[in-house]
Amino acid sequence: MAVEKNNNGLQLLGFWVSPFAQRCHIALAEKGLSYESLEQDLSNKSELLLRANPVHKKIPVLLHGGRPICESLVILQYLDEAFPEASALLPSDPGARAHARFWAGFVDTKVFECGVRLWKRKAGSEPQVQARKEMVEALRTLDAELGDKPFLAGEAFGFVDVAVVPFAAWLVSYGRLGEFDVEEVCPRLVAWAERCGERESVAKSIHPPEKVWEFVGFLKNKLGDK
Amino acid sequence: MEKTPENVSQQAAAAEAPLKLLGSWASSYTHRVQLALRLKGLEFEYAEEDLGNKSDELLRLNPVYKKVPVLVHGGRSLPESVVILQYLDDAWPHIRPLLPSDPFDRALARFWCHFADDKLGPAVGAVFASTGSEQEAAVRQVHENLALIEAELREGAFKGRRFFGGDEVGILDVVLGCGSYWLAVFEEVMDGVRLVDADAFPLFHAWLRGFEALDEARDTIPPVDRLLGYARGVRHMLLGLAGAGDGAAAPTAAAEATAPVPAPAATDIAVDI
Repeated sequence: MAVEKNNNGLQLLGFWVSPFAQRCHIALAEKGLSYESLEQDLSNKSELLLRANPVHKKIPVLLHGGRPICESLVILQYLDEAFPEASALLPSDPGARAHARFWAGFVDTKVFECGVRLWKRKAGSEPQVQARKEMVEALRTLDAELGDKPFLAGEAFGFVDVAVVPFAAWLVSYGRLGEFDVEEVCPRLVAWAERCGERESVAKSIHPPEKVWEFVGFLKNKLGDK
Repeated sequence: MEKTPENVSQQAAAAEAPLKLLGSWASSYTHRVQLALRLKGLEFEYAEEDLGNKSDELLRLNPVYKKVPVLVHGGRSLPESVVILQYLDDAWPHIRPLLPSDPFDRALARFWCHFADDKLGPAVGAVFASTGSEQEAAVRQVHENLALIEAELREGAFKGRRFFGGDEVGILDVVLGCGSYWLAVFEEVMDGVRLVDADAFPLFHAWLRGFEALDEARDTIPPVDRLLGYARGVRHMLLGLAGAGDGAAAPTAAAEATAPVPAPAATDIAVDI
């Protein structure tokens, strides 16, 4: 892979612990694309971020030649389409692509959103207990989908693995907030997370579970129900 | 994947397999897929689902969400309307593409499709499911969301276009269009609520009129009196009001409103965009 000048014109606006930003870091590494990483201060959002994502004012944002692409899964697909010569994240078979998009979406709507309720709502309150049930069900579903495959995408690490693996670092936190045994609920997912962690792209991009737990504590304090 | 003779003919054979769509007549998510199939000129079998009594087939084909629409094709079962629309482009790339060809334009289309389902749709659903000050807040949210789209039409990504897809409808037209008819229907059902003012959102309004005039859209979107009857019934259920509202509902609408259907979640029915 030739070393590109100017980092391929790529800049990634991210935040260290955001699983959505981490998807992008992993994708760029998997595709062997160099880029400029611009860590953002979310408590004091930069002009660059506000101009790049005026609709949501959120990270991650990928800038390519100065043009912004927002939403992590949109960014992943953009990278495949704008850099077709670099190894593809999505498979080529239409049915397999649909499968990948479906499960990536599942993690956003069923795991991430539920996870927010788990830390935000008061521990033991009715909505928090409801969130616990939903999280256990979502993780069991994901575990069953993985089944005996080495990766969510099948034989090889792919798009849906990139989409899901940043949440692996949150499993410990979900288990503590939800008061359930992660190993019991989704044992195959736990093994898969370790397998993925052996890949350089993943190891470089995600933070240890205890660091995430620390961050969750900070979130609870700052934004959680009192 | 290399285009060997073997896998080209595999793909061609796969494309020939029959299509079946499980849907619900009042679900705008279902309408999206029906419209896309019509735009691509693809024949399909349609099976109407009773959402109050879901078939074994639906539960088997979409065990994760248990929702419509589900597209069945060549042994694959595909849920989630936006996933299905992209599948149609992937499986029939040479017929009336729904996504533009440029990667950046594709990213924009995907971004706004996600906005439609993640922000605008739930906001409209919230208007429909609430009253009083809660409803006022939800209405403001809808207006903020429509204003963002209006701005893109006026001076942003979609400036000067007849449709979001350009001269022809594309994926975003299908996603926004199949659902935006609820805006006028909800305004009719809920007195005093203004959602899509032609003065406040002139370009969005013009786009919607253009979309609804298309033959394929007219073939897909149910007649407005059926939508009104359905919406009235749902509104009554959501608010637990029996027999309230406009008494001019047609007999069939009243029958639908009083049918023994368990109260659906806002996302389960057509309260979406």
